[in-house]
Amino acid sequence: MDVSQYLEIFIDETNGHLQNLSDCIMTLEKEPENMDTINEIFRAAHSLKGMAGTMGFKRMQRLTHDMENVFQEVRSGNMSVTSGLVDVLFQCLDAIEAYLDNVKESSDEGTDDNEAIIQELNEILAAGTGNTLPEKTEKVPVKQPGDEKHPKKYLDIEFSEKEKEELREAESKGMNIYGITVFIQEECLLKAARAFLVFKAVEDYGNIIAYNPSSQDIEDEKFGIDFSFYLVSEEGLEKILEVSRAVSEIEEVVGEKLKYSELTAAAEKKEAAQAAEQEAKAAEAKTEEKAVPAAPAQTKQAPAAAKKTNGGKPVTNRTVRVDIEKLDALMNQVSELIIAKNSLVSIGSSSDGGTGGASSQAFHEQIEYLERITTGLHESVMKVRMVPIESVVQKFPRMIRDLSKKLDKKMELFMTGEDTELDRTVVDQIGDPLQHLLRNSADHGLESTEVRRKRGKPEVGSIHLNAFQEGNNVIIEVSDDGNGIDTETVKEKAIERGLITPEQGETMTQKEIIDFLFMPSFSMAKKISDISGRGVGLDVVKSNIEALGGDVEVKSVLGEGSKFIVRLPLTLAIIQALMVEVRGEKYAISLGSIETIEEISPDEIKFVQAKEVIHIRGIVIPLIRLDQLLDCEPEDKERESLTVIIVRKGDKVAGLIVDELNGQQEIVIKSLGKYINNSSKIISGATVLGDGEVALILDVNTLF
Amino acid sequence: MANNLVAADNTRKQFIVVKIGSEQYGIDISYVDNIVRMQKITRVPKVQPYFKGIINLRGEIVPVMSIRTKMDLEPDEFTDVTRIIILKLEEHGVLGIVVDEVKEVVTLAPDEIDKVAYDAKNSKSNFINGVGKHGEELISLFDTNSIIDEPEMV
Repeated sequence: MDVSQYLEIFIDETNGHLQNLSDCIMTLEKEPENMDTINEIFRAAHSLKGMAGTMGFKRMQRLTHDMENVFQEVRSGNMSVTSGLVDVLFQCLDAIEAYLDNVKESSDEGTDDNEAIIQELNEILAAGTGNTLPEKTEKVPVKQPGDEKHPKKYLDIEFSEKEKEELREAESKGMNIYGITVFIQEECLLKAARAFLVFKAVEDYGNIIAYNPSSQDIEDEKFGIDFSFYLVSEEGLEKILEVSRAVSEIEEVVGEKLKYSELTAAAEKKEAAQAAEQEAKAAEAKTEEKAVPAAPAQTKQAPAAAKKTNGGKPVTNRTVRVDIEKLDALMNQVSELIIAKNSLVSIGSSSDGGTGGASSQAFHEQIEYLERITTGLHESVMKVRMVPIESVVQKFPRMIRDLSKKLDKKMELFMTGEDTELDRTVVDQIGDPLQHLLRNSADHGLESTEVRRKRGKPEVGSIHLNAFQEGNNVIIEVSDDGNGIDTETVKEKAIERGLITPEQGETMTQKEIIDFLFMPSFSMAKKISDISGRGVGLDVVKSNIEALGGDVEVKSVLGEGSKFIVRLPLTLAIIQALMVEVRGEKYAISLGSIETIEEISPDEIKFVQAKEVIHIRGIVIPLIRLDQLLDCEPEDKERESLTVIIVRKGDKVAGLIVDELNGQQEIVIKSLGKYINNSSKIISGATVLGDGEVALILDVNTLF
Repeated sequence: MANNLVAADNTRKQFIVVKIGSEQYGIDISYVDNIVRMQKITRVPKVQPYFKGIINLRGEIVPVMSIRTKMDLEPDEFTDVTRIIILKLEEHGVLGIVVDEVKEVVTLAPDEIDKVAYDAKNSKSNFINGVGKHGEELISLFDTNSIIDEPEMV
């Protein structure tokens, strides 16, 4: 066995603890007196220390150990939480995260000692405990009551002849024999792993001779909450107990030094065992008294931790982790099923004609049933792939806090709808764009504190991140109550850059001007800062979001703030589409981008700048003849009426002229493959229709 | 590529013999996934001219290419014996090519295959990497990879 098989657990748990710590420290900053939070931080730091220690990550262990020390003092009321401490704590978190990143990449924590942070921690510790508040020191640590809860079960172990031989030999070499019983917290989910970590820890100091239950049973998790073993070692007992207790989720470890003669006697005679126990109790009491400061902390911490986990986590783990590739495979098969279903539906409707009768009706009923099942199945699979955006947005409060310090602006982030769910692939890629928008709001959006005061706004600027579902889309809005976008300055900048002439600038709408912000290397920041202003910004946000099939919109009122609206599709693989025909060729257009469908007569077509437009309900809409766009054979004569599909992208609309409408359908998007050089991107994919025919999917976004 | 040829030289290889125009061509059977009858090909606008379009092969979308157009021959004429040969290439996925007729499968020993010299003037020769002798008949052997490669744009 080696530690690497526990690496994944370690990484997962460390991530969990880090997020927990980050949340707690944020809370602590607001409520420095909150005892629950302080306990929680202490517990998380302690667990981190234990885990890092057993995995052999000494630097990480040292750092978390010092964090734990500080909180030990805070807990016992010897020092109070200052904003300086909070800053250092955040640095610690970053450092631990860096260790963890190293571990993820190379299974090693790296070589950064983070001496500076450790020193700062210790300085704060020294300064904090120096001016101890006398009235608070009266808290006496509660002693763990006796050993009734933790009997010395190791005395029950019966030795085989071979084990006796080994013990005798070890003792004759001057090694100590320890009997040890380890109690694991009842809530622990991976008892075998914990046991393994304990063995791993103690085997650094000696050899384990006998187990109870057997080592195989321990490995298979066939034991209650405790297990016992005998260890021969040259190291002192306290050291052994300490390393075992350092493993997280270990409730208590009891043990004592034994003589071989005592052991054999104990095994043979019950009375002798009793006597040994009495003696051991005394020994245990002694070790309790002179134990290192960490030991009482340990015993105090355990019940608190137990209480906490009882309240928070469900007792049993009801989730499974599945490789995303397996989900993709499942998704593909559901897609196939939907295609098969669609073809059954089309056979059903075509053979509808003369047959009639009971069998046909039964057939239709079954098809409808099948349709319900496949739709349900599709929804379930989609749901499985859906994850709440929480995993992405939960790091933002911390980021805003840091930005607030860095920019010296007071600001607060309000988030709603963190539980809004999106397809896994979308969630994975939405983090960066959102982060960018938030930075943008913090840096460019919000004014400095002085300006805000002058303008009569609340000193603390607020940034809102709201997520919610709207039809087949998820909307994420990032808004601030800052200055808003100064379109005049943007216009000047655009003219300065030679993008437009001053005359053009006069006629531009506010929307068109704001669109400049999404152009590559068009930065509005007056000076380049760490946070933003390098000109790689909103254009990247825009292209990232568009790559996910979404779009970004901006609303801004000068002096009152701006709002970025990100619209994302719920799913990427299956969409609702309108089927159209152009010269007998079938195309699908996503329903999401369709506004209305109009029937017009050819003489309604007007010309503006030699381009065809129509004027409907006060809006002038440019027309695109799909047959021309898609290089179809021209028709001999103009039709008497034209079908126009009005599509929208953001604020822009266009009318697509098609020959025929074939109704709405759920379609499965398939790629065209790599051979076809689809550089125009008009065709975003293909889909197989119910009758086996292939239809191409038009990406109307490329038409604007 | 070179290694492949050396290794293959020691073994007998199987080829599917197809007719394109008046000539017979051989396609290494190890690349052939399937042979299907001519079916409706959905045209894809705005792509390379030699791509006929895409077909639905048991739910999968497969691009189909006209080897005639690619070799600058006269355009395809679809008949009862026209077939689409589906090639499967490790990293590239599947691709169909249209042939006039599928004749047979032949096994050729290394000594039955003659290498052909590269002739830059003859665009057809770019796709051929050998000539097989099967009895009295001569079979031009396709270099499967060069069929797939994009021609250099002039």
